[in-house]
Amino acid sequence: MKFQIEDVTVYFPYDYIYPEQYEYMVELKRALDARGHCLLEMPTGTGKTVALLSLITSYALARPSPPLKLLYCTRTVHEMEKTLAELRLLHSHLPPTHRSLALGLSSRKNLCVNPYVLSSASRDSVDSACRRLTASWVRAAAAEQPPGAVPTCSFFESYDRAASSGPDAVLLPPGVYTLGDLRALGREKGWCPYFLARQMIRYANVVVYSYQYLLDPKVAGIISREMQRECVVVFDEAHNIDNVCIEALSVSVRRQTLDGATRNLHRMAQEIDRFKATDASRLRAEYNRLVEGLAQRGNLALTDAWLSNPALPDDILKEAVPGNIRRAEHFLSVLRRLVQYLKGRLQTENVETERPVDFVASVSSQAGIDQKMLRFCYDRLHSLMLTLEITDTDEFLHIQTICDFATLVGTYMQGFSIIIEPFDERMPHIPDPVLQLSCHDASLAIKPVFDRFQSVIITSGTLSPIDLYPRLLNFNPVISRSFTMSLTRDCICPMVLTRGSDQLPVSTKFDMRSDPGVVRNYGRLLLEMVAAVPDGIVCFFVSYSYMDGIVNSWNEMGILQDVMQHKLVFIETQDVVETTLALDNYRRACDCGRGAVFFSVARGKVAEGIDFDRHYGRLVIMFGVPFQYTLSRILIARLEYLRNTFQIKEGDFLTFDALRQAAQCVGRVIRSKADYGMMIFADKRYSRHDKRSKLPGWILSHLHDAHLNLSTDMALHIAREFLRRMAQPYDKAGTGGRKTLLSQEDLEKMGEDPMNMF
Amino acid sequence: MSGSVAVHRGSLGFPAMGGGEERRKRGGDDEEEEEEEEEENGVRGMEAWERAYADERSWEALQEDESGLLRPIDTKTLVHAQYRRRLLLRSAAASSAAPRIQKGLIRYLYVVIDLSRAASEMDFRPSRMVVVAKCVEVFIREFFDQNPLSHIGMVTIKDGVAQCLTDLGGSPDSQIKSLLGKLECSGDASLQNALELVYGYLSQIPSYGHREVLILYSALNTCDPGDIMETVQQCKKAKIRCSVIGLSAEIYICKHLCEETGGSYTVALDESHFKELLLEHAPPPPAIAEYAAANLIRMGFPQRGADGVISICSCHKEAKVGGGYTCPRCKARVCELPTECQICGLTLVSSPHLARSYHHLFPVTPFNEVSSRIPTKWSQKLPQTCYGCQQSLVSHGGKSDPHVSCPKCNQHFCLDCDIYIHESLHNCPGCESQHGSTT
Repeated sequence: MKFQIEDVTVYFPYDYIYPEQYEYMVELKRALDARGHCLLEMPTGTGKTVALLSLITSYALARPSPPLKLLYCTRTVHEMEKTLAELRLLHSHLPPTHRSLALGLSSRKNLCVNPYVLSSASRDSVDSACRRLTASWVRAAAAEQPPGAVPTCSFFESYDRAASSGPDAVLLPPGVYTLGDLRALGREKGWCPYFLARQMIRYANVVVYSYQYLLDPKVAGIISREMQRECVVVFDEAHNIDNVCIEALSVSVRRQTLDGATRNLHRMAQEIDRFKATDASRLRAEYNRLVEGLAQRGNLALTDAWLSNPALPDDILKEAVPGNIRRAEHFLSVLRRLVQYLKGRLQTENVETERPVDFVASVSSQAGIDQKMLRFCYDRLHSLMLTLEITDTDEFLHIQTICDFATLVGTYMQGFSIIIEPFDERMPHIPDPVLQLSCHDASLAIKPVFDRFQSVIITSGTLSPIDLYPRLLNFNPVISRSFTMSLTRDCICPMVLTRGSDQLPVSTKFDMRSDPGVVRNYGRLLLEMVAAVPDGIVCFFVSYSYMDGIVNSWNEMGILQDVMQHKLVFIETQDVVETTLALDNYRRACDCGRGAVFFSVARGKVAEGIDFDRHYGRLVIMFGVPFQYTLSRILIARLEYLRNTFQIKEGDFLTFDALRQAAQCVGRVIRSKADYGMMIFADKRYSRHDKRSKLPGWILSHLHDAHLNLSTDMALHIAREFLRRMAQPYDKAGTGGRKTLLSQEDLEKMGEDPMNMF
Repeated sequence: MSGSVAVHRGSLGFPAMGGGEERRKRGGDDEEEEEEEEEENGVRGMEAWERAYADERSWEALQEDESGLLRPIDTKTLVHAQYRRRLLLRSAAASSAAPRIQKGLIRYLYVVIDLSRAASEMDFRPSRMVVVAKCVEVFIREFFDQNPLSHIGMVTIKDGVAQCLTDLGGSPDSQIKSLLGKLECSGDASLQNALELVYGYLSQIPSYGHREVLILYSALNTCDPGDIMETVQQCKKAKIRCSVIGLSAEIYICKHLCEETGGSYTVALDESHFKELLLEHAPPPPAIAEYAAANLIRMGFPQRGADGVISICSCHKEAKVGGGYTCPRCKARVCELPTECQICGLTLVSSPHLARSYHHLFPVTPFNEVSSRIPTKWSQKLPQTCYGCQQSLVSHGGKSDPHVSCPKCNQHFCLDCDIYIHESLHNCPGCESQHGSTT
């Protein structure tokens, strides 16, 4: 269907539109008009993605100059594919004159079609296997020697031949290309899909890729460097964006890293010796280049481009590499001293927390490395590895991590701290020293994005409280709004359960959680629910250790055996393969009617990325409030920084963080309007206003006062009623005043009479 | 209050709390420590009579009227609204499918009753099992009333296995008797076992018969020996129409089963709703197009035996005096109609049975609702009494009660007559009397 929002004709791929989608588009358009950033919360299952795509695409069509580009960032490859599928549907509804190019970009692991390269297991080894075939010196060697003597990648070679005749030769025809399409195209034409996609994002109107390509300065430097200012950047599912930003600038160093780095340094020293003996001119040339202070990149071949500097572009001083690390052997000895120094620091018995300034001072006094040398470590290493023609970069990850660390420490004085812990807090007997450079300021990594691009849209199903995000990310949104869902029936049923059936309060508060009464009450709750709820139930616990403990106690009490009579029990573990297998079997048990319970952990992989929609999740129980581990040094340091810099109280931040995790967990259960599901918040602290009010609006609007302070038997009664009611046939379109599907005529009517909108 | 809290904790052997400093460090979650437990000693010790009220929630059946008085919720209009919705739905489905709809009049129906552990739950009064048994009794009578040419059999699920309670047969009384004799429940439910068993019986039914299964499912899960999806496909191939009535909540596998095999899946809200849903299965379903090819069936119309004649009954295998019917082909004696002759396998019916099945093919059109909000000068012209029962359609307030009118003869009927005409009479008195006067 086609309709007008103010002066823009919007093409929408479906015949009906939800009212909230329409409102969402209106707000979005205003933000684009204002060329500002915005923050929009809309529940999952209301078609956020398609609303975003269709408005931005239509907007770009309505204002053809300057051409507006859409950068759509998703968290996972799966979400990327879903977005591209929506986009393809949208494109089939656009007028044929307005065809544009849209494609997804991912790592080599997802795009490569070379069977030899693909046989590698991890992402890093795929990258290095690719480099081994396509690095410029490898290709140069292959050109000199008889064909076949030096292996190269045929896909890249034919792509390069095609591309050398001019960029138009490889220009893709307009359309939507998913990762699968790109691979198929690559196989068909014999072109390398990865480099083709890298090339094409310059010309594409829509690019869908991962957060890292914009937020992680190492990747963003090479991938997103050439994007123009007229871009709309969308961060979808962005409720954890502050954590992504922080992770992008944090480094942790363990003993294995240092050992690996030492090995790497040995090998590099050997290489240097070899080069000295055979080809000393190369080292000489590098030295000269560094003296002249040329930026290393720019004139490099496409395939040699390596992860760029971890510091943000604006923070890199336009200086030449300092003299005392220009010679390869000097640089190696600097690195050796640095690694030695870090090894010494890891020997400590106590937990140490330091600011970067102190750390740099101590490095300089004890190892004789000053701040400027630290700052250039990463670039210098990069240059050296190119000179030494090292292709197996996955072997050299350790030394890269060290240089990464050094550069960050040398660059930033504010917003970071260095924490050395001799052992894991939970296992004090096993020494596992770790040195962490942790970033506290989420705004650092995202600042260049806000500065560079015209509009940045941050959107998710759970962004409440919506006023905290601008403070955490330090930006001024022109629009920040939260939308609720229009429903034909009350298909979500949140409940706050504060007491067990014996009326004793339940909570995972630290001093209560090991109380056998609380454990038993939680167990009874689960037991009652598995008997009353069909198909799938998902339980979230606050941490792995708590889950282990409580499942153990349930086992001893015999509760688990009773649960198994009704449903099978599956447990998330820290092992990804095991968890995937468990999830698979969980789904099968739900499908075949046996019924299943999945025990999972808030903040775990499952809570973030797996949907439990339809019969896979009729009920989700959140046992406790998922606060972060408040004794973690990193958290304490971050809280302190937040308080001092952004005036955010510790309690506020912790509650906010816990509640968004809880909302995220329970939000897994409902993914579309036709779906239904119950959510039980089992902790007495949820009934308090300061906690509850931080839940997203679309949950709060269904949380009736009568459901605020329930005991197990009351919750059971409500659950039974709810399930019976939801099983009745219902009218999808909504009738009378509660219209939830708008047709084109409805929208036109609304346009004529804007006062009478909703 | 806080005193009582401390007592509880003491008695439960609560672990000693950490030092004040540690507790403070444990952070934001418990720094706002205020305790707000209430009604600590509340509802725990409820008397039996109290519990009866708490469980039944009888106050929910009350509503306040405009003058603030408590009234029981007006069920009559509610019931009628539901009935009309169903009726319209049925006729809409019929008219959209084809102008002349075929109905499966010869049905072979297995009723599967779940007697697993879940059937002993007390949320239906007195228990699910008893409610199911009672409703099935009503259903069987109604079924034979509406489908005189059909057969019914019963299967129970108990302890993870399915048992055949009665074979396919035509007599309602024996079916009911054997059901009431076997009422006890235990163990798990297995949908697959039940389907396999029923499949075994129904796959032998001749092609003109409609194979149907109606499952009354209490449990929320099914413990199967194999892959139930294969069984579902098997049933689909054998054209067995599976319908499920759930007693507690929607289960995915049941929904899947019904969607695949073309049955209906419903979930009962309460006892009366369950009965209603069950009785919806009494009228014959529309025939599935692909095997509704008209073919002729050989039937016999046996004569009633004269009184005092002694003959050997073929169904009971003993000599009986008087009564009974004689098969026109092999002259064997049978006790009841309709049935299949034990000797020659001929289908034996009587002509009233055929006539009674006839009305399904020509249903009375649904009546239109007459709005009570018609301005008074119009309502003056409208008839004041029901054409069916002659009761007044005008309530004491001078407003006319909600009622309906036949679109063909424009006669007005009250709500009770509406239901009676469509459900039992199958003729519109208005149209019939018009016929009489014109011809």
